[in-house]
Amino acid sequence: MELLAQVLVNGLLLGGLYAVMALGLALVWGVLNIVNLAHGSFIMLGAYCSWHLFHYLHVDPFLGLPLTAAVMFALGYAVQRGILNLIVRAPMFNTLLLTFGLDVVLTYLAQLAFSADFRTINPGYAGHQWHWGAMVLPAVRVAAFGAALVLTLGMWLFLLHTRLGRAIRATAQNLVAARLYGVEPRHLYAMTFAIGVALAGTAGGLYGTVSQINPYIGASLTLKSFAIAIIGGLDNPLGVLVGGLFLGVIESLTILYIGPTFVDVASFGILALVLIVRPTGLLGKTA
Amino acid sequence: MILKRLQLLSSLCALGLAMAAPASVQAQDIVLGASVQLTGPVANTGRYYRDAYQIAIDKINAAGGVKIAGKEHKLALKLYDNQSDVNLSVRQYTQLVTQDKVHLLLGGFASNFQLADSVVSEKYKIPMVQGGGASNEIFSRNFKYIFGTLAPASNYFGSTVQMMKALKDGPKNVALLYADDSFDVSTAEGTRPLLKQAGFNLVMDERYSSNTSDFSTLLSQIKSKNVDAVLVAGHETEILNFVRNAKSLAVAPKMYSFTVGVPSEDFRKALGKDADYAFGMTAWLPVESLKDRWFGDAAKFAAEYKAKFGYDPDYHAASGAADVEALAMALEKAGSTDPQKVRDALAASDFESLYGPIKFGANGQIDLPQLVIQVQNGQVAEVYNAKGFDKQPQYPMPAWNAR
Amino acid sequence: MKTWRAWAVVIAFLAMAGVPWYGSDVLVQFGINALLLAVLAQGWNIIGGYTGYPSFGNSVFYGLGSYGVAIAMVQWHLPFEVGMLFGVLLAVAFALLLGVPVLRLRGHYFAIATLALAGVMAAIVSNIPLAGQNIGLVLPPLNDDRLFYGLALGLLALSTLVVWWLTKSRFGFGLIAIRENEDGAAVMGVNTTAYKVAAFTISGALSSMAGGIHAYWITFLDPESAFDISLNVKMIIMAVFGGAGTVFGPIIGAFSLSAVSEWLSSEVTSIASLFFGAVIVAAVVFMPHGLTHLAARIRRLGWRYFGENVRENRL
Repeated sequence: MELLAQVLVNGLLLGGLYAVMALGLALVWGVLNIVNLAHGSFIMLGAYCSWHLFHYLHVDPFLGLPLTAAVMFALGYAVQRGILNLIVRAPMFNTLLLTFGLDVVLTYLAQLAFSADFRTINPGYAGHQWHWGAMVLPAVRVAAFGAALVLTLGMWLFLLHTRLGRAIRATAQNLVAARLYGVEPRHLYAMTFAIGVALAGTAGGLYGTVSQINPYIGASLTLKSFAIAIIGGLDNPLGVLVGGLFLGVIESLTILYIGPTFVDVASFGILALVLIVRPTGLLGKTA
Repeated sequence: MILKRLQLLSSLCALGLAMAAPASVQAQDIVLGASVQLTGPVANTGRYYRDAYQIAIDKINAAGGVKIAGKEHKLALKLYDNQSDVNLSVRQYTQLVTQDKVHLLLGGFASNFQLADSVVSEKYKIPMVQGGGASNEIFSRNFKYIFGTLAPASNYFGSTVQMMKALKDGPKNVALLYADDSFDVSTAEGTRPLLKQAGFNLVMDERYSSNTSDFSTLLSQIKSKNVDAVLVAGHETEILNFVRNAKSLAVAPKMYSFTVGVPSEDFRKALGKDADYAFGMTAWLPVESLKDRWFGDAAKFAAEYKAKFGYDPDYHAASGAADVEALAMALEKAGSTDPQKVRDALAASDFESLYGPIKFGANGQIDLPQLVIQVQNGQVAEVYNAKGFDKQPQYPMPAWNAR
Repeated sequence: MKTWRAWAVVIAFLAMAGVPWYGSDVLVQFGINALLLAVLAQGWNIIGGYTGYPSFGNSVFYGLGSYGVAIAMVQWHLPFEVGMLFGVLLAVAFALLLGVPVLRLRGHYFAIATLALAGVMAAIVSNIPLAGQNIGLVLPPLNDDRLFYGLALGLLALSTLVVWWLTKSRFGFGLIAIRENEDGAAVMGVNTTAYKVAAFTISGALSSMAGGIHAYWITFLDPESAFDISLNVKMIIMAVFGGAGTVFGPIIGAFSLSAVSEWLSSEVTSIASLFFGAVIVAAVVFMPHGLTHLAARIRRLGWRYFGENVRENRL
């Protein structure tokens, strides 16, 4: 029983981190209809950014997250404005191909710049944990979970209750009408993508404290983020949180009851199942 | 119409381009070919081989090269980056043999690569010496042209199990975790009978997916089953995550031992103080007692290597250097570059090198005992070898917050 | 098809068929690889290019074909041909069983669903002892590149004939109708579900045969290389680069991109992947309709062709 409780807690905390990873992808996909296969690379770059801030300037990884987010925001804006905006009106899967190419470029630029050595972000409190009864709660994971809640709520408030958020949603739904209202769509698209990349970068900073960083971590993180975004539903940031938590728990239970090598079967299997049975996701509105 | 002809023409031109490959070595040089992981997920270890091959070849050339039939020949290296892609490495080895016409082959890292690449060396009957694949599977196919300088995977934990038995108040409950690739499965298969023979209680025997980043659940199970000793056969990234997860979940068994990581400098650097108390094994340490014809001894080799490349060599690098030396010795012994003669000379290899005694078994694989090492205060200490305890092992491991 | 075009195709085919005799070993190896990729691209062309359902999981059929041959030859000691048949059966079964639910989805969702299925199969296979779990299987070696080249070329010819037949047949018109306006096609009496599943199955069967040949040729497979996810993107890019929805586009795309990639890998080595990614980005931005479209328009428009593409698609 104790073991099960601990495993559930592990799963929830892991799920929180997953949710942060998927948030940026879901935003860009759900709002802009851009399926970003380079998402994992942005997470990776964010991790490297946090690592450099920590290693050279001794900036605490959590306190430094806004800095990382800002750097990644700028990068995302440039990428959207300079490259992605060029194919926004092309057939859907051109973005898939382009972002794939981008993913390859970013990964190998990282390899050139940082080499394949793995790095870790190891602040003094990295191994700290809190005890609640018999349960152990790793501090860094709890902090990541907290960040997930904050970011998800923030995204939700932003999209539904701020002018900029509403403008972004309007542009995505009806380009012409938005233009008539004086909205500059290129700027807005770039802003949205930039927010998505900033979120990815933030997830990277968190990931670096929990796991290790090398140029090739992107691919599997992209796939995971896809699964979570779809399982949760693209309409709503809260759906991403639910999707992440759900996947985290399912994976942990799979390891406990079936076996560690079946984790991918579980995650991909659930993704396939959700797509077949309820494509809008657990929290999505049926179209 | 022009379109079609243009396409045809350009396709053929493209095919023609693929045929071009300039050779920038002198006619007399003996060319050694290799396809190594310089980019891609396994690049971190792959580059050890590039560096090791280069330094060994340079050193041999500086001493006059290889003497065959009275004439001195320099060695040259033709290296390709297989981008951590097994299929590409197979094509590159084929290219090395058939197009670049190299004389002999050197391997890259990882057992699954060597499994596939050795098929090429067998197909074209060109000897290949590799120092990156330890899986017994590579050598169980009756191939005659593949040789390996890494000791068999199945025996990696051999000396560790012996040490565990010899410890006072030693561990009783053991957990065995292993990744699902060729090397680690081989290791686990070899370790189980050793544990049973030694009378340990194997309470956990779990295979996990390669590239797993989260070990929380497995660690929680280890804690709940009161495991004393954890043996992990996996890759550096996984073991790194394992240790960090263990710290954050406050799981501290009496000891843990890993098949990789501990001997490598960047692994210890990445973990910092958290690397302490970890056990590992290596068939090689940079000690003066390992004499070498070209480098003097292993300690000198390590110093030169560090000076040239900026990091300490581990057994992968030493193994790679030994591969080059094995080929050089075999060439001299055979007195020719004929692949068949060199292969026979390789099979009869018997010399001392910076890596240890080079002698291949009938199946082509070397057998060297693994020394048990432990990270003590940031340094690697040899704690147990064939003769028994060397330095005192730090056992049991204290709780994380008591360090 | 006009006579001169027919002649051009015949000449190209003969030139390719002759490679094992006049080409170097490396060229033959490159050829086999490029031919198999071209088969995958053609296979994708059927479901993605003609039917308009961009499958991101055709690698699953490739993998099933590979494992079919491997299990049959290694575990049951059956000959290669039986293995190929077994692989095709696995692929067809998969396409029929899972095609129906998955083909109900459209656009991105269909793409991700196929990707998910490919991922599930890879994960399942890595747990099956008969398939060698994650270590994979080692097949009996056969040192006969000419044979493999011939098989691959034959398979490509077959795939191209199938695609060509599509452009002439009622079935093919039905697929195109589905691509252009699925609801309209349904209203007009096209049994869209049956047609889609049939296209998916044919696509799968061809891809599985490519996988089977590859497995025997390389003599080694494991879940990661057999169900290689990057293959999906490669085959799509090759089809699109050459011209999706055309008969010869995928072949041209496969050969040109393979040549570029192979040349980069042997000359510029460490930044090969980087360049390849950059090529993909540039191609999608400047020539999204593929080489065939480019070749047709460039005489008239010259350099402005690229600018036109960008203007068409940018925000």
